Amino acid sequence: MSQKLITRREFLRNSSVAACAGAIYIGAPIKSLKADDPKTKVVLIREEDILDNRWKPRADLLENMLDRAVSKLLGVDDSVKAWKQLIKPDDIVGIKSNEWSRLATPPELENAIRNRVLGCGVSEKNISIGDRRILSDDVFLKASALINVRPMRTHDWSGVGSLIKNYIMFVNNPADYHGDSCADLATLWKLPLTEGKTRLNILVMLTPLFHGAGPHHFNPAYIWPYNGLIVGLDPVAVDATGIRIIQAKRREHFGEEKPINPPPKHIFFAETRHHLGVADPSKIDLIRLGWNEASLI
Amino acid sequence: MISFNILFLTQVIFTTIIQYTMPPSHSIDNLSGTIPKEISSWREIEENIYNRKNLHEFINGGAELYLSYGFQSVLSRVYESEDEPALYLDIFDMGNSKNAFGVFSHTREFIQSDFGQGSQYTKGLLLFWKDRYLISLLISPETPAGKKVIRDLAELIDQVIDKAGSLPEIISLLPESNLKEESIRYFRHYIWLNSHYFIADTNIFNITDDTEVVLAKYKGEDKSAILLLLLYPDKDSAITAKQSFKEKYLDDSEAADVMKTEDGLWVGWKQENRLLSVVFQGQSGQICTDLLNEVEKKQKQLKSLLE
Repeated sequence: MSQKLITRREFLRNSSVAACAGAIYIGAPIKSLKADDPKTKVVLIREEDILDNRWKPRADLLENMLDRAVSKLLGVDDSVKAWKQLIKPDDIVGIKSNEWSRLATPPELENAIRNRVLGCGVSEKNISIGDRRILSDDVFLKASALINVRPMRTHDWSGVGSLIKNYIMFVNNPADYHGDSCADLATLWKLPLTEGKTRLNILVMLTPLFHGAGPHHFNPAYIWPYNGLIVGLDPVAVDATGIRIIQAKRREHFGEEKPINPPPKHIFFAETRHHLGVADPSKIDLIRLGWNEASLI
Repeated sequence: MISFNILFLTQVIFTTIIQYTMPPSHSIDNLSGTIPKEISSWREIEENIYNRKNLHEFINGGAELYLSYGFQSVLSRVYESEDEPALYLDIFDMGNSKNAFGVFSHTREFIQSDFGQGSQYTKGLLLFWKDRYLISLLISPETPAGKKVIRDLAELIDQVIDKAGSLPEIISLLPESNLKEESIRYFRHYIWLNSHYFIADTNIFNITDDTEVVLAKYKGEDKSAILLLLLYPDKDSAITAKQSFKEKYLDDSEAADVMKTEDGLWVGWKQENRLLSVVFQGQSGQICTDLLNEVEKKQKQLKSLLE
């Protein structure tokens, strides 16, 4: 059966559908949430003083933010206990980072995660932090647990660089996943190296990139100190929350509705087509911690 | 007279040999040797040249944009300074000036012409294009000294690339009145159409590498619209695309050439020879007709686009 063609006119005809950012471009059905449906928990934590004057994060504050977010996410007062719910001493842990030079995962955050994993009793040799070389890294090849951490940024081909997309380095030929604006990136999460292994997703929103320009799709004019982290067990819900903030920032900056281009359909298809998690905001329980000024969401 | 002819012929042969056997004075290799490795307090610490095969190693996730615009090679340099942020210089050889303009237009937001044939500076990032090259200079965060070194280096590069290139001919079909020049986008890949103005989730205009496409916005009191021009390699392709558009977008293979859509705005189309012109979001049917007629008038003045 051929797929239904979605045109601009199609969603003009259905302006109520257009209210949902995701559905605008992919025609995803919006299901109403029943009263007893459990929502997916996502924690947004922000800290006013997290960045120094060069927008580098302060390590101690960042570690504290991470602990508070993980504790809240798991409903445990003690952060050590919370982390121990995620990671066991005999785990082999790959911390999937992102080394894109213009907006990399901050080393301060990588170290904080490593420290917490060590605190769970995992030996040093069974922990690795990596990105582009993970397919030649024994820890990642043998990993029983993954922690996924990266900054969010707009992206020329997939709409946004997301947590879902961060697993692209688990394949030899990333270009195989570029079709239809990377619509099916969620399948990366069903590879033998990844399926069922992710214990925590951390979307770095300290200085997100909300619009791109130039060869590397990076323009310092389009990052801003949002000072946040979004943390959750469901990568789709975390990404979907991230793009709502990016979209709101674009609206604020450009003074008009300027959808992310190309549309980050891989996040919505992760729910509707691949059932990796939930993208629909009505299914997400967003918990806010810390600084709330200009949160945009 | 005979000796003059022999001299002339010799000169022509010599010039032809030079033209086809010597690298152009500003090839990527040549630029690498000419552009200073030290400027102000910055010194080059790294230089790499990438080609079509390994561009993915250089641009994380964005290589497709450049490949779709005929990218050939890129000279990438990093300069460091003790007290200042690093300076990144990238010079992309896009094969010809149309492609260089196209990739520059992809993210152009305002009109500036400080360098080359068009430039844009925002907060530490300077982009400009000249001939077949796109040049990017980046310092982040921006500092006063960094801003100055970007301008100094850009000036030098602008001088080294000594000739200007021509714009895509299709651009000259755009009516000038109410045109927002900074909105002009030129491309040859359907995904960029959706990137700038979403029309459909499939390639309903059958845009291929051989199709030249221009998208531009018009803004004026009661005169706002978006104009899309598609120049196909032959008339048959343009007719097929027109039919596809009518059936898949207008939902009617016999649709009128100007019609109102669900948002109360107007859409209009016209196909003439190998050119298909479409107006979206016209504030009135008249603005659609006016734009389409103006394009047709210009097309008739440009014989090459009628053949």
